[in-house]
Amino acid sequence: MDKTNDIIRLIHSLVPSDKKIRIMNVCGSHEHTIAFSGMRSLLPENLEIIPGPGCPVCVCPESDIINAIYLSKRDDVILVTYGDMLRVPTQKGSIRSEGKNFRMITSPFEALNIARSNPGTKIVFFSIGFETTTAPTAGILEMGVPDNLFILSSHRLTPTIMEILVKDAEIGIDGFIAPGHVSAIVGSNAWNVFSEKYGIPTVVAGFEADNLLLGIVEILRQLKSGKAQTGNVYKGVVKPEGNTQAQRLMEKYFEVADVNWRGIGHIPGSGLELRDEYSSRDARKVFELEEVKEAKIPGCICGTIILGKAYPSACKLFKKVCTPKTPKGPCMVSFEGACNIWYKTSSDTQNIEHR
Amino acid sequence: MKKIEIGHGSGGRLTRDLIQKTFLKYLSSEELKPLEDAAYINLKHHHVAMTTDSYVVRPLFFPGGNIGKLAVCGTVNDLAVSGAVPRYLSIGFILEEGFPIEHLEEILKGIAESAKQSGVHIVTGDTKVVEKNKCDGMFINTTGIGEIVKPLPLDNVSVGDMVLITGTIGDHGTAIALVRDEFTITANLLSDCAPLNDLLQPLFEIEGLKWMRDPTRGGVATVLAEVSDVTGLGVEIFEENVPVREDVRFISDMLGYDPLYLANEGKAIIIASHESANKILSILKKHPLGQNASVIGHVTSKFKGVRLRTKIGGERLLDMLEEDMLPRIC
Repeated sequence: MDKTNDIIRLIHSLVPSDKKIRIMNVCGSHEHTIAFSGMRSLLPENLEIIPGPGCPVCVCPESDIINAIYLSKRDDVILVTYGDMLRVPTQKGSIRSEGKNFRMITSPFEALNIARSNPGTKIVFFSIGFETTTAPTAGILEMGVPDNLFILSSHRLTPTIMEILVKDAEIGIDGFIAPGHVSAIVGSNAWNVFSEKYGIPTVVAGFEADNLLLGIVEILRQLKSGKAQTGNVYKGVVKPEGNTQAQRLMEKYFEVADVNWRGIGHIPGSGLELRDEYSSRDARKVFELEEVKEAKIPGCICGTIILGKAYPSACKLFKKVCTPKTPKGPCMVSFEGACNIWYKTSSDTQNIEHR
Repeated sequence: MKKIEIGHGSGGRLTRDLIQKTFLKYLSSEELKPLEDAAYINLKHHHVAMTTDSYVVRPLFFPGGNIGKLAVCGTVNDLAVSGAVPRYLSIGFILEEGFPIEHLEEILKGIAESAKQSGVHIVTGDTKVVEKNKCDGMFINTTGIGEIVKPLPLDNVSVGDMVLITGTIGDHGTAIALVRDEFTITANLLSDCAPLNDLLQPLFEIEGLKWMRDPTRGGVATVLAEVSDVTGLGVEIFEENVPVREDVRFISDMLGYDPLYLANEGKAIIIASHESANKILSILKKHPLGQNASVIGHVTSKFKGVRLRTKIGGERLLDMLEEDMLPRIC
């Protein structure tokens, strides 16, 4: 606690009184720590910590979920995916409410086991998420998947979406807290582009509150000195070059693709699809899936929240009709979604007592 | 395997057989034996506390207990936290056709053991059988009568009072979560389901004891939010002081649950005067069920609602739980 107090005092001394500073975190687990620790209540009023596009469930396009529902209704298919994905609402309902044959898994290895023990059935692994979940999916492909296992890839690239955010003047980001788990895969060097090309301090942090606070200190120091760099306060886990073995496997099985992000739209070069050599494993091709146009959820501003342009409490549906039990938009579904986290922690920029 | 038939609820021979051969094997008291329409009971005082609760927990058997144990402990605890000594219990069963008698016996064992442990007499009961698929195997209702020793109305609570918890929180909620079908995680977690009267009765003699409640559904946060709602005062609790088992914390993190909102079936929140808090704490710590007891916060007039002071010194508000995080946990 003494150490924490020291870091917080340091933060107060580093934030200029005449300027608003906006630091974005790009990881649902970071937002989780920030909200559950009540961190915002300890920071200077003019220092904003904004939740960004860090929730893999929230950004998964509606079209892929509708296709997953369709696949689970086929008698010859069992759809397997991560728990949160089952509850994400779409214009056609959720996998849980509308699907037929589906199972929840916690790791791609479970998908592999289900395929091995059900040789007469087609197992479709609806594989979503950022680099952190792409790597293990590549891992099972490298292990050699049975003929009845197919991948519905809905993977997204973190650096690409961050670059989109940087270019959006409306958001105005002064610094990034780079995601700890993603950085363990891609390496801290992957963020050099932000400091070198855009002059935005970007610091990799872990998930303990003190570590995140140190990350904020590092960003503020860079802002004060006027020299942006890539920092890393999570050195025990994140290396500059990252996990090169994981990168090699991702490169081997996936290629960059132009994809949609839920609530945000089409972003060139921001997703990953299976390479042509592995098209026999690609559920999109094997089952001839088609894109479904995204429906607008009346009143839901999840897309704006993901882009860091609004806080969850700004949404008219938040805590009224949209709750973790009755989510209207994707950000209320996942453990990593900003709305879900803010709901559970009663977070609201209005009720934080600044001192 | 013998199973429950619709006729077991008819009130006729089969019902009589079930009561005499199965229920009475486990639940026998002088008051119950005559099997009359009402039990004659003897209360020393005229002032009694009475409570009733229905138990629809799913699954019926869980690590650390079963619906029967839960039904007795739940009602015993409701009396104990009200400042009463639990004396008599009624038990009503709604059984589903096809329910294995073997399972019923297992549940009756849990009831008998908890009743013995807490010193309550089961003096009357009821059995109904419903058709298959009309209930989840078994529902239980228990009504309890206790002798009031120390009335503990919420009006007693005032600014400066301390808030205590008798042990680790969230054990029951996580144990139930793990046995639900959706999760494949395995951990050695047990529900904390236990009768608390033996732990709490010695506190009735303490002058500064103000109020108690067992934080079941909705957990500690919801109970404290109710305290604030009714009294108009604020409650500040300190995360550092709230005892949570490491494995409960780990599982909660993984499943996205907050231990402060998880159900407990063997814990009590106690509000006591500032002067008496340490004395109460030392009494609790001497009992096996109170070894992890802790002072977790205090009552204040500086704000309304419940505020959690986090480990790093930050603060966040704790609202009431709006809906169960888990279905049918007690």
